[in-house]
Amino acid sequence: MNINRPCGTFDRNYFQAKELYRTPLRKTLLTLFIVGMYALPLLTGDYGISILTLICAFTIGMLGLQIITGYCGQISIGHAAFMGIGMYTVGILQRHFGISFWVCLPLAGLVPMFIGMVFGLPALRMKGLYLAFATLAAHFVIVYVISNWRSVTNGTDGMWMKRPEVLLGIDFKNDRNYYFLVLTITIIMTYLATNLARTKLGRSFVAVRDNDIAAEVMGINIAYTKVMAFGIGCFFAGIAGALGGAYYEYVNVEWFGLDDSIWYLGFLVVGGFGSIFGAIAGATVWKVMDEFSTLVTPITESFLGGAAFYASAAFSLIFYSLIIIVFLVFEPRGIAHRWEMIKRSYRLHPFPY
Amino acid sequence: MEEIIKSVVLGICSGGIYALLAVSYVVIYKSTRVFPFSQAAVLIIGAYLMWFCLMVWHLPIWVGFLITCAGGAILGMVVERAFMRPLVGQPILAPIVVTLCLMLLLRGIGILMGQGNIQGFGESFLPLGAWKMGFLHVPQIQVYGFILCAALIIALMLFYAKTGAGLGMRVVHEDHVVAQNLGINVKRIFQYSWVISCVIAVVAGMLLGNIQGVGLGLDANGLIAIAAVLFGGLESFTGAIIAGLAIGILQMLTILFIAPLLPGETTMMAPFVFLLLILFIKPYGLFGLVRIERL
Repeated sequence: MNINRPCGTFDRNYFQAKELYRTPLRKTLLTLFIVGMYALPLLTGDYGISILTLICAFTIGMLGLQIITGYCGQISIGHAAFMGIGMYTVGILQRHFGISFWVCLPLAGLVPMFIGMVFGLPALRMKGLYLAFATLAAHFVIVYVISNWRSVTNGTDGMWMKRPEVLLGIDFKNDRNYYFLVLTITIIMTYLATNLARTKLGRSFVAVRDNDIAAEVMGINIAYTKVMAFGIGCFFAGIAGALGGAYYEYVNVEWFGLDDSIWYLGFLVVGGFGSIFGAIAGATVWKVMDEFSTLVTPITESFLGGAAFYASAAFSLIFYSLIIIVFLVFEPRGIAHRWEMIKRSYRLHPFPY
Repeated sequence: MEEIIKSVVLGICSGGIYALLAVSYVVIYKSTRVFPFSQAAVLIIGAYLMWFCLMVWHLPIWVGFLITCAGGAILGMVVERAFMRPLVGQPILAPIVVTLCLMLLLRGIGILMGQGNIQGFGESFLPLGAWKMGFLHVPQIQVYGFILCAALIIALMLFYAKTGAGLGMRVVHEDHVVAQNLGINVKRIFQYSWVISCVIAVVAGMLLGNIQGVGLGLDANGLIAIAAVLFGGLESFTGAIIAGLAIGILQMLTILFIAPLLPGETTMMAPFVFLLLILFIKPYGLFGLVRIERL
């Protein structure tokens, strides 16, 4: 099943066949990677921690989009809006009901999940392009409701959020502790997404993506599968939104414009479709680019004088979109595919194939 | 009743531009099977080009019009050749992402052109004032805009009906492989449709910039026109025109009935709620083709 294995690795029983990481080398590397992620804050300062936290939060959101678009093939141009619903769910519950963050967090996933399923209903009758329209409309409807339902959402002024309370003696007001929390949740969600791809539901996602009629002939309930893909993807988006919003301790409707939804889709392409690694790579590239463009802003300022306010906005738009377009034209399968090719050429080293 | 009639007349006037925009989407979608989200941002480019011609370079209106149209044509040609042609034959997602990113790319260029400000044409290039017919006050700027839109659409229809290139384009609308077998250069046709569509969008951008002021907010009109395209059916020019007018009327009726009840930009909202309703009730629109797939 898995062709990217060193030769001589055979499955002798079902437990071996079911293992996520089969060889000792990969297990060691994975463990080292996770330990390294936990150890990184020791090396980087507060600035590095803020980038890492955002990368983790956006990785969760990207995994959600990977499930909707990469696995199930349904195009969503409203993913950032569902992330926003997650943020606002936590914000509203804390503000109006004073509920603890730990209760809000699962709700921040479930509310977008439900709303996403409702907006995903047009997907039952059609595919591809039409769903893009539905989610585009969903984006505008959601942003409209949030910015105008002032009594609940405080309109365009945004609202304050609280970080989680002290748990087991860990104070999450500290950025480093909060990063550990986000990282832990990211690892759990990544594990869930990886395993989802191997379940019956995940396999039927892929079948629907490849050809929905063929999938229906094979006895897959397409309607259920598509709506579930949407629901699960939006669940991930909501969790990502809740974690990201709580990091800033503030939510604003400006944070999930149409641009962000498009960047989500675009950097998913840059990362690579249909693989968990692609989602992680996409989110990482996106957030590193973000930091890069903030770093470049002072330089453009010195070039353009007082005009830098608009120039930096234009620069990030042009720069990102060019990167995504160039990737699509020259490497449509993204970083994940390139990585697989590097691994394969390493494994087969003296021979070309 | 008078109010409703007024809204309908005004809606038809402002719907002309939506019809034009919807046609610009349909031109590309019909021939290339790619939905060009980027046309929403071509509006911005068109409006700023016209603004440069009139306010910065102080050219006469007709020269500005020609320069802007030429700019739109070049833009369409470059976009098709550089970004869309390498993606022919890729899965549906790739061109969609590229057109979406193009939308933001053109928006960024728009920010650079206009330095982030909303500009005006100073003096409108279409006559201001209104005609009075009984209780109706019809602003001339809207009527002339409508006439220009109608003229462009008629010219496009004549191009399709009468010329050889138009015939080729109609063949490509039917089937790419058949067209290729008949000796039609399909790539050339793709380029034609991008050029035509961009010129149309640029003209619509000029008209909208004249009415609403030249700024980045113009692309909202382009996104609203997507609702019109879907209502009319993705493959139908007739549908696009009817639905464009319908969206115009819908917006005016929204101002009349819904805006007093709800806060915020209800005119921006109503077309998208309408779009969702269409998707639930009649997903292929009024005149859209219902494709039957086989394995």
